Amino acid sequence: MDTPKDKDQPPAKPQVMLYICGECHHENEIKARDPIRCRECGYRIMYKKRTKRMVVFDGR
Amino acid sequence: MANIEEIRTRVRLGEFEVTNGHTTDFPGSYSGYDDAWNQVKFEKKFHIDVIRLTDRDLEFDMVGIDCAIANAFRRILLSEVPTMAVDKVFIYNNTSIIQDEVLAHRLGLIPIKVDPRLFEYRTADDTEGTPEDTVVLELKVRCKKNPNATKDTTDPDVLYVNHKVTTNNIKWLSQGNQAALFKDGIHPADEDVLIAKLRPGQEIDIKMHCVKGIGKDHAKFSPVATASYRLLPEITLTQPVEGALAEQLKQCFAPGVIEIDNIDGVLCVVSVDSAVCCRCAVGCVCVLRARVAAARKDTCSREVLRHDTIKDCVKLTRVRDHFIFSVESTGALPPDVLVTEAIKVLQAKCRRVLQELEDVDSDDQ
Amino acid sequence: MTATVDSKTRQVEIAPTDNCEDETCKTFVLHNEDHTLGNALRYMIMKNPQVDLCGYSVPHPSEKKINLRIQTRGTSATDVLKQGLSELTTVCDHILTTFETSVVYYKEMNPSSESKEHPEPMDT
Repeated sequence: MDTPKDKDQPPAKPQVMLYICGECHHENEIKARDPIRCRECGYRIMYKKRTKRMVVFDGR
Repeated sequence: MANIEEIRTRVRLGEFEVTNGHTTDFPGSYSGYDDAWNQVKFEKKFHIDVIRLTDRDLEFDMVGIDCAIANAFRRILLSEVPTMAVDKVFIYNNTSIIQDEVLAHRLGLIPIKVDPRLFEYRTADDTEGTPEDTVVLELKVRCKKNPNATKDTTDPDVLYVNHKVTTNNIKWLSQGNQAALFKDGIHPADEDVLIAKLRPGQEIDIKMHCVKGIGKDHAKFSPVATASYRLLPEITLTQPVEGALAEQLKQCFAPGVIEIDNIDGVLCVVSVDSAVCCRCAVGCVCVLRARVAAARKDTCSREVLRHDTIKDCVKLTRVRDHFIFSVESTGALPPDVLVTEAIKVLQAKCRRVLQELEDVDSDDQ
Repeated sequence: MTATVDSKTRQVEIAPTDNCEDETCKTFVLHNEDHTLGNALRYMIMKNPQVDLCGYSVPHPSEKKINLRIQTRGTSATDVLKQGLSELTTVCDHILTTFETSVVYYKEMNPSSESKEHPEPMDT
């Protein structure tokens, strides 16, 4: 397997990562080295968001 | 001769077996009977009586037809009369605890109140759908905390808003000219069918495509909760059953099947109820005799045949050509329409095969 | 996928036999059919005095076809099948009209249930 070369890849967009507070469900932006802590209520358990991709199922 | 007539027209319930179960009235089976098919004879004998008809239930008697054809209607009702059901589920968001595939399956099973006769079958390669073959529904619910909830309550109905996702939350998204065609809108057949439960922050955001299909393909397309028939029960008392035996006989059947009459001729002075013995200490002339009041109500349990004292007094049979149909619609179409559709399906089957045979003939020439 | 019953393929074929000349004995293969049509049709055909034997089988439960065997006392088996089919269609016609008449009669006799027939459109 080839490792992806950095040169070929487009420059990484500054993607905002949003996490959801386990207590108050507020959306928090957390960057690298930020404390894992909700800005609203101080709760320390955060959840990732579900994929934004739409999923299709057969209703059967 | 009387016995032959019974073999031809009755199914006999014995203590350990059912006899004369098969149809035997075919040409050549009995001498002296003309069993060839005769449409005029059939039409003279055949009749249908509707017993009960509501928006969901139908009970009717179909008399004078063979079980082969009655059974065809039952089978078609279950598996070949089309309805619309959710088939494709587009999940944009589902953060509830119920898994996507389970939710999709549940949504598929919800009966939708829409006339399938107004739609086409969707072709196998079509994924988009057109207004002629697809109904689009939407389910978009987000649960929140109720800010007005009292502090000490633990009732989820008070604590949360939108925590129960029901069929009421399903909204119809009209495609093309559907809005003009369906003035009353398109909804699930039942309100308040629980689909999922949510907690604050959880969300369901789904679009669904309903397509036309038949029960053979998937049970969700079956238009009936159940469609069944039973043969009319018949109870014959071969000899008078009186006194304590009459009471015992009555107890062997479902309530109302056997009634007891006081047949002493003079209404008893002490007891007002004619069916109860006065139990006068002296000179009681009450004769309590059993009578078959409503054989139709019989469950055909054959309990009576377990009692040696009375088992020789009764003959249990069922009328071979009397079908008591029971059709329970899931709500897409009224049950009487389902039956007419079923009859048309059988006709269409015959016509298709017939047409095919004609085509083969013309190809040969 | 959605099963559309109709397909352009042949619905009926005649099973090959050693003696193809014999018009009185034939096995028809009805595709996309099951006991529903098979048994009803067998009954109608057996009601024909010209028929010696009529029977059907489902060769395999997961193959959507039935084999219908007809042996007659002289007439063509294909004609007997055609007759059975058209008789069954006529029977259905009569059942349909009888049923519709009975339903209309019931609704006339029980006008109270008429309101239940057409429930108010649901609130949303």
